[in-house]
Amino acid sequence: MNRVDALIELDNVRKSFGDVPVLKGISMFVQKGEAVCIIGPSGSGKSTVLRCINGLIPVDDGFVRVGAHRVHEMRSEKQMRALRHQVAMVFQQYNLFPHRTALENIMMAPIQVLGHDRAEVEERARKLLKKVRLSEKADSYPGQLSGGQQQRVAIARALAMQPDVILFDEVTAALDPETVKDVLFAIRELVEEGLTCILVTHEMKFAREVSQRVCFTDRGLIVESAPPAELFDNPQDPRTREFLGQVL
Amino acid sequence: MIAGSMLSYEGKKRAVLLLIALGVAVWIAVDAAAGGSAHWSRVLARLPLLLTGSASGWPINGGFVLNIMLSLASMALATALGTIMGLATLARFGPIRVPAFLLMNFLRNSPWLVLLFATLYFLPFEMHVFGTVIPFPPFVKAVIGLALPTAANFSEVIRGAVQSIHSGQWEAARSLGYGTGQIYRHVIMPQALRRMIPGWMNLYALLMIATALATVTGIQDVLTILNTLLAMENERVIVYFYLTILFLFIAYCYPIAAIARRWERAVKGESL
Ligand SMILES: Nc1ncnc2c1ncn2[C@@H]1O[C@H](COP(=O)(O)OP(=O)(O)O)[C@@H](O)[C@H]1O
Ligand SMILES: [Mg+2]
Repeated sequence: MNRVDALIELDNVRKSFGDVPVLKGISMFVQKGEAVCIIGPSGSGKSTVLRCINGLIPVDDGFVRVGAHRVHEMRSEKQMRALRHQVAMVFQQYNLFPHRTALENIMMAPIQVLGHDRAEVEERARKLLKKVRLSEKADSYPGQLSGGQQQRVAIARALAMQPDVILFDEVTAALDPETVKDVLFAIRELVEEGLTCILVTHEMKFAREVSQRVCFTDRGLIVESAPPAELFDNPQDPRTREFLGQVL
Repeated sequence: MIAGSMLSYEGKKRAVLLLIALGVAVWIAVDAAAGGSAHWSRVLARLPLLLTGSASGWPINGGFVLNIMLSLASMALATALGTIMGLATLARFGPIRVPAFLLMNFLRNSPWLVLLFATLYFLPFEMHVFGTVIPFPPFVKAVIGLALPTAANFSEVIRGAVQSIHSGQWEAARSLGYGTGQIYRHVIMPQALRRMIPGWMNLYALLMIATALATVTGIQDVLTILNTLLAMENERVIVYFYLTILFLFIAYCYPIAAIARRWERAVKGESL
C-alpha cells in the first residue's frame, strides 16, 4: 500500500489522558473509497483513534493527515473548519440537537458553518432524508424518533456536509436489535457508493461483509490488520484469536 | 410502583396545604366572632395605603406596589449582570474566568442585608460624569443593592444550565465544524434557556421577598409605611397588620414558585 496516495494517514500516533497512555503508536492508512473496520475490546482506544482523525482530540505525538490537512499541526478553530467539512462523524449516542427537527438538524451546519444557500441545502436535506428512508419524519423532533431513526438522521446530517470521509463510532451499539438492520443498510449503501468510511463496530458479520480491511486494536495498539476473510478465518495474533473467540 | 408513591406524595402534600388553609380560615372566623372583626376593619381601612402609599389608593407613592416595582427593576438589572457574569465564569480564558468566579462567589455568599447596606453607604448620593449629574436616590440604591446577590445567583443558574447540556452536543457540533461561539449560540443556549427558566423564576420570588429588606434605605415600601402606621395604632392590631403583609407576599410569590416547579418537572422529563 502506498502511503502517499492514501486519503488518511496515521503514523505512530500517541495519546495519553493524564498518566494513562491510551494510544501507544497507532499507524494506519486508508485509501479513497475504502471501508475499514476497527474492532477490539472496549477501552482499547477505538473511539480515541477516530477523534484524533477529525481533530476532536489533539494528539501528543505522531503524524495525522487527512487529504491535504496535517491534523497533528492544527491548533485554531478556523483551520479545523476545513477539516471538519471533509471529515464527518456519527456517534453511538446520535447526539442530534433536540431543539431542532430532523430536517433542521440536517440543514443547520451546511447553512451556518459552510454558508451554503438555504434553498439548495433544503433540497439536499430532503434528498438525504429520502435516502435514509425517513422522508415522512422531516418535521419530527429527535425526541419523537426511535433510536434507529435518530441514528439515520445523524447519518443524513453527516452526509449533508458533503464529506470525503465518514467516521462511524459504534453507531448501532445503543440500538434495539430490530432497528439495527435499517442503520446498517444505510451504511452499506454508502460504502457501495464508494464513500470512504472508517467504522468502529461490534457487528462482526457486517464488518466481514462490507469492509475491505479490518483492524484489530488492543490496549492502544493495532495488533493485526488484514482483509476480513483473512482476519476472521485465520487470525495470526493470539490476542485476535482470543477476542474473536469471545465475540463470535 | 414509583409513580404510585409519587402520586400519593403529591396527594399528601396537597392535603396538608388544604388543611393549613382550612385551619387559617377557621382561626380567622373564630377570631372575628370573638371581636377580631373590629381589628380587621382597621386593617381594611389602611389597605389602600399599604398597597399604594396613598390613603385613597391613588396616586402611587409607595407601598406594596413599590416593592413590586423594585423587584422588577432589580430583576431586570440582575438578569443583565448575571448573564454577563455567568458567561464570564464559563470563559476558557483564565483572566476573565477567575475574577468572575471569585466575584460571583463573594456575592453569592454575602448576606443580602449587608450588600444592601454596602451599596447604601458606598454609592455616592450623585455622580458627575462628563458634566452631567447622575443622581442615586435611595430607590436606585435599593435596586442595585438587591440586584448584586440576585445577579450572582442567576449566573450560577446559567452556569448550571449550560453545564447540564450533554458533552455529546459539543462533540457533535464541533465535528460539524462549528466554532465555540457558534456552538453556544446555535446549540447550547437554546437548550440551556429552557432549563434556566425555573431557576430564574424561583430567584425572582426570592428577590420579591427580599425587597422587604429595602426598608433600611428609607424608601416608602410596604414595611416603611407599616412602621409609620403602627405608631398610630394600638398594640392589639399590630398582629393583624403583619399577618396582612405576610399574606400579600405569599399571595404574590407562591404562584410564581408553583409555576416554576411545574416547569422544572416538565424540563426534567425531557429527553436529552
Ligand atoms: N476524555 C477522556 N479523558 C480521560 N480518559 C479517557 C477519555 N476518553 C477516553 N478515555 C480513556 O481512554 C481509554 C480508551 O477509550 P476509548 O477510545 O473510548 O475506547 P473504545 O472506544 O475502544 O472503547 C479508556 O480507558 C477510557 O477510559
Ligand atoms: Mg468507544
